[in-house]
Amino acid sequence: MKRSFLTKLTGMAVAVSFLAAATACSSQDASSNADSQGNAPTSSEIDNEAGTIKVSMGRQTLQNVTFPDGDTYEDNAYIRMAEKKLNIDITDEFEANGDDYDRQVSLALSAGDIPDMMKVGTLDEVQELYENDLIADLTGVYEEYASDYLKAVYDSYDGRAMDNVTFDGMMMALPGTNTDSGPSIVWIRSDWMEQLGVKLDEDQDGCITIEDVETVAKEFMEKNPENAENVVGVAFAPWLTNGDPDGTFSMNSIAYALGAFPKTWMEKDGKVTYGSTSEEMKQALAVASGWFQEGILDPQVGTRTWDDITALLANGQCGITFGTWHIPDWLLNNVYALNGNATFEAYALADANGKVNCKHNNATAGYIVVSKDFEHPETAIQIANLFYDELVNSKELLEEYPEVASYVANGVDGSSRPFNIEVNSYTSLLDDYADLERCLSGEITVEEVRTSEQRSNATSISAYLEGNGDATGWSKYHSRSKGVELIQSLTENDLFSWLTPVFPQTTPTMETNLANLEKLEEETFIKIVTGDIDVESGFEQFVADWNKQGGEQILNEIAEQLQ
Amino acid sequence: MVENRSFHSRVRVTVIYGIVLLLGLSCLLPLLNIVAISFSGSAAVSANRVGVIPVDFTLTAYNKILSDGQFWRSFVISVIRVILALALNLAVTVPMAYAMTKSKKEFRARNIYMNLLIFAMLFNGGMIPTYILVRNLGLLNSIWSLVLPGALPIFNVIMLMNFFLGIPKSLEEAALMDGASPFQVLIKIMVPCAKPSIATVSLFSIVGSWNDFFSGLIYMQKVENYPIMTYIQSLNVDIQELLKSGASSSALENVTELSNRNLNAAKIVVAVIPLLLIYPILQKYLITGMVMGSVKE
Repeated sequence: MKRSFLTKLTGMAVAVSFLAAATACSSQDASSNADSQGNAPTSSEIDNEAGTIKVSMGRQTLQNVTFPDGDTYEDNAYIRMAEKKLNIDITDEFEANGDDYDRQVSLALSAGDIPDMMKVGTLDEVQELYENDLIADLTGVYEEYASDYLKAVYDSYDGRAMDNVTFDGMMMALPGTNTDSGPSIVWIRSDWMEQLGVKLDEDQDGCITIEDVETVAKEFMEKNPENAENVVGVAFAPWLTNGDPDGTFSMNSIAYALGAFPKTWMEKDGKVTYGSTSEEMKQALAVASGWFQEGILDPQVGTRTWDDITALLANGQCGITFGTWHIPDWLLNNVYALNGNATFEAYALADANGKVNCKHNNATAGYIVVSKDFEHPETAIQIANLFYDELVNSKELLEEYPEVASYVANGVDGSSRPFNIEVNSYTSLLDDYADLERCLSGEITVEEVRTSEQRSNATSISAYLEGNGDATGWSKYHSRSKGVELIQSLTENDLFSWLTPVFPQTTPTMETNLANLEKLEEETFIKIVTGDIDVESGFEQFVADWNKQGGEQILNEIAEQLQ
Repeated sequence: MVENRSFHSRVRVTVIYGIVLLLGLSCLLPLLNIVAISFSGSAAVSANRVGVIPVDFTLTAYNKILSDGQFWRSFVISVIRVILALALNLAVTVPMAYAMTKSKKEFRARNIYMNLLIFAMLFNGGMIPTYILVRNLGLLNSIWSLVLPGALPIFNVIMLMNFFLGIPKSLEEAALMDGASPFQVLIKIMVPCAKPSIATVSLFSIVGSWNDFFSGLIYMQKVENYPIMTYIQSLNVDIQELLKSGASSSALENVTELSNRNLNAAKIVVAVIPLLLIYPILQKYLITGMVMGSVKE
């Protein structure tokens, strides 16, 4: 009896000690919280003596950024300049790369405690923050503080940029801009064409047809200029199509040339439709399936991974590929590394009317939101003015801050600025290129080129053209003087036919069904292309399944959103 | 007949050896491939030309790692974490497991504790509540956030408990007879007898905390605090995802320069070396125990 009482007593003692420990922790929590997270609760208080405003931030970083010794994301030349210029004190509440950053944002959101300013990746997150009443309305401060240049940059998107971040008439975020990236370019080995005497694009307008690609692919396979084993005519990544117009390793340009816009929501005759289920998409799949039967298309399509396709190109097994204008910088450079003679020519696939179909990108990407509890939301606009206006336009600023000038000259990545977003005018890609072109043709000197990026491009391209064989020069020459040049000449000659898609916010059915629908789409398309199922009946079945499994519902929800 | 039988057995042995060899190779080859890639030139790697022998032998990848300050900072964080986690795990697991071997007569609340353990093993609070708890305890960005949430691995407790139960009762009784306190019994009798099992549990703890990258991802708010596996994970970039998120061409250049396959391979090789060193040390405990020959029955 006595013993059992003792055990009970011990049990209770244990329970009590647990409780005590728990309370001890929670009381400790308050103080340690204030220590470790420093400015989270107190951030918006002004340090009265210096008048310095403390700003805590969530910042998305990039791997492999080479800072000068001792500099970090939290303390570098850009941050120091902003702190001095605007009399603020920036501390980072969290920093992470890519996806890991999105996770930190979600965690902060779920804890209901966000830093004074942070970048978020998607409009859905902005909406969620808005609905939870965590972020500040920037309409007033934007009107009052934003510089004319900054406003002009945003206005160059015809209001599309600001519309995206306007919720119930209030501007809830400072958007990063996203220029059009152009079509998925057909990159063809021009050294092979020369060697084999293949003539392409006789009228020199940069446009070729699907049949042209077919002919060249056959020729390359037959003659096998590099005596490679297992030659492949054309290779596509397993997902075949891409939501971005410039999708690398995708069959987008074939689809676009036939008038299909895969993975695209659009309005057609007053009705919302989905590009992948259109009649034109069926024709595009029929073309690809025909290529597969003829052996032009990689027999291993569907299992050939991204890295494997890169290897095909690098090994000289394949001489035709599709991709965005800048793939020579980071992908086709592998081809040059193994074969110093390799050169590429850029073409666009035109439709039956000789026009190149392309679609606009969403006008914004990446958003800066300001916490509702932060007392100086105008600081966000001032930071934007400083980096996206003054730093771009004012030479005096660089003279005043030589360390920033050296950052610009050495190309320290833009993610080290307080806001990791780009704010460029809608025509910036072509404007920058025009500058570069003028410099290459000797009209202006390298010093007169406006941006540091184009200055270094100009230097390396001229060196390459003089025959130094430098890999960077090769890359920049191909991406700019071939890739962007193609976009430029198509624009100039009015050969583009632009589609403005619908960019819906994630609807409830999208949240639950879209992943499965995309899987259904990709699996069916691969089966159709490889001849597993018939083009006609297989596609019909796909459209029916797609509608039944939530597609139709999503289209209705988008239509509601648009009203 | 005799010859025939030996022929049969020879065939059998050959077939068995063949199968075992194939299985062995299927485990070894991917590793060799990674090692070979880490020593090869990046162009050869991107052209898929590397098998198990390096092509264009180079040490560039290793040079680059050696000069990456964050890699070594993360490496040290991981080493400290493993040591802390191991010490804490053993300090908590061993006494708990021993207490759980006592019958209900000796330890009245045993079943309650057992049920608590099993409940906690099957259900947990989920990621967000755990995160909020860690955050409110002020542990974010501290090494304790990596160690404390997993301080009591319940599976290990149960495993160790079962091993303790397998140790002959007579050993414990003999010790008690000689006047040992329960604590002395645990330290002087049970722990030495359970060395193989404790070695196993230690190995789980070491491998588990060395390889875990996820807690680093959520509890560490800055890259400079990442443990090694979290850091390696964050360097491995999916270019297709990056393209989808509309990365700029300069960002892509930056990333492809870093995330090329031979650099990644070299990081993997460097990161598994500590584990490869620990296995042989613990192996001798894994094979033999001390129970053998201690009691005659």
